[in-house]
Amino acid sequence: MAILQTKNLSKVYNPDTVPVHALRDVSITIDKGEFTSIVGPSGSGKTTLLNMLGGLDKPTSGSVWVNGEEITSMKESKLIDFRLHNIGFVFQHYNLIPVFTAHENVSFIMLLQNRSKKEIRERADDLLEQVGLGDRKNARPVQMSGGQQQRVAVARALASEPKFILADEPTANLDSTSAMNLLDIMNKMNREQNVTFVFSTHDQRVIDRARRVITMVDGAIHKDEYRDVEETAEN
Amino acid sequence: MYLKLAWRNIWRNKRRTLITLSSILFAVVCALFIESIERGSHDLTVENMTRFHTGYLQVQDFRFEDEPSLDNSFYYDPEFFGSIEENVEGIEFTVPRIDGFMLAAGEELTRPAMVLGILPGREQRLNGLVDRLVEGRFFNEGESTAVVSQGLASRLNVAVGDTLVLLGQGRFGMSAAGKYYISGIVKLPLREMDNQTIYLSISEAQWLLSAEGYITSLLITPESAAQVNILAEALSQIFEGTEYRVLTWREMMPELIEALEFDKAGTRMFMAILYVVIGFGIFGTILTMTLERLREFGILLSVGMKRMKLAAVVFIETLLISILGVLSGFGLGLFLIIYFNINPITIGGDGAEYMLDMGFDPILPTAIAPDIFFYQGSVVFLITLVISLYPSFKILRLNIIEAAKK
Repeated sequence: MAILQTKNLSKVYNPDTVPVHALRDVSITIDKGEFTSIVGPSGSGKTTLLNMLGGLDKPTSGSVWVNGEEITSMKESKLIDFRLHNIGFVFQHYNLIPVFTAHENVSFIMLLQNRSKKEIRERADDLLEQVGLGDRKNARPVQMSGGQQQRVAVARALASEPKFILADEPTANLDSTSAMNLLDIMNKMNREQNVTFVFSTHDQRVIDRARRVITMVDGAIHKDEYRDVEETAEN
Repeated sequence: MYLKLAWRNIWRNKRRTLITLSSILFAVVCALFIESIERGSHDLTVENMTRFHTGYLQVQDFRFEDEPSLDNSFYYDPEFFGSIEENVEGIEFTVPRIDGFMLAAGEELTRPAMVLGILPGREQRLNGLVDRLVEGRFFNEGESTAVVSQGLASRLNVAVGDTLVLLGQGRFGMSAAGKYYISGIVKLPLREMDNQTIYLSISEAQWLLSAEGYITSLLITPESAAQVNILAEALSQIFEGTEYRVLTWREMMPELIEALEFDKAGTRMFMAILYVVIGFGIFGTILTMTLERLREFGILLSVGMKRMKLAAVVFIETLLISILGVLSGFGLGLFLIIYFNINPITIGGDGAEYMLDMGFDPILPTAIAPDIFFYQGSVVFLITLVISLYPSFKILRLNIIEAAKK
């Protein structure tokens, strides 16, 4: 079932001065439960596409559909609310709230959703357990390693029970062990809970785990391939 | 949790918060102190002028204001005015005076002088005149001696024990001449008065000026200075249809009001400059904070926090800093104001001369008035609040993508 769809998506920056075609007629469909990597060289349009999928940026033409609802024509106030309930974000620089503990960072998203205190507390505990940080829930970001912070970021992204998670270069700042650990967690959530992940990445370790790899060149889809990940991993 | 977020954000960069707090504290303390000194010195001037010169309220003959002459004095009926003092609510006591300008001569020098006929006991109650004696003693009522102000004594080159001759015109053109033994020298707080006043007992002055039983003014001291206008109105109603007229100190000394207003305008100008300088200081730290956190704001908006909520959190942060700054400024300001109220700053040298020329005492006592705290605290608080609108405004217009790239 298509959870995310773009139709003839184009984005041109500086259309009146020096036009830069960041996206050219991109049409993709992502189904529920996919573990997809968007790859390509710098300037190929990965991050722009991810921003469009997350409703953070508006296209010059074309449309983005999430779960059958078009988000490109939504007003900003509605879009913010839509993002809160439907899209999870994991950023390259973790971007946790520095003055909050791990538990509070995860809880905060649910607070924005006006959930009950009991539900917030229990779900935050559960998610931190799932990412292996049950014993670090009272630690603040500065007291955690990069890998731990990114795991909190994943827990935070999952807290709102989104339709899918967009992760922009999630392993770029992590050492190998932390990166593999994080990928294991995301992979497990994908397989066991059918959580949909869409990455933009340069990292071969992420690409190797992806069951679908969309390659972009000069703002256009160059290649879109599905793979058997387990076989790839064994190889 | 939003409040928790705001409170923790405040202490996340302690140095920046302390700089902002200090700016606000400094602004509040300066504003309080300047206003308090201005109010204190003005209150002291008004106090001296009313107690030694006009009183808070005066009853005069209705012609006296236009033509302040003994011919326009009025008969002091102790029974009538006694009943008013007793029956009108808000009057603490009354002080009758008769005054006229005469020539005063010592052995070698002659100077114009204001001769004031007084009841020493009542004057003492009004302004502690007897306690201001620097030499000799005060006369008793009915005694034929004179007490001379220190400045005039110096100008006439006379001292206690010398003889003073007074020459002038009494009521209805009668000639007035008298010779008086100087029993005391008194130091008056107002330079102008200190340079020209001679006190006689009221009955002696009335005799000298051919105005037995007459006075030129009856000073009325209210129970509280705040009652002046109410009391003036009540007395005006009582005196309606008579030849008596009631004047307040403001009506009698418009030039003093002007001088005080002029002085206030200077202070306001200085305060305005101070507000601008401090305002820019606070704005600088708020601006730095905003620019440093743009990325964070962008991320929070990305994950689903509404702009208004985020703006409210940042506004609460600045609000909390403002409240802390203003309250700590109140604490330190109150301490300084109380200290300098007990130990007023004394001005020396040319500054003192200038202040004396302006009619002010060369001391700067502070006034302890709650409204100063309210007014100055509100102004600084408002400045801070207006400045704190900047980050909120920035958040409301923030481009999420641009902010997240920073």
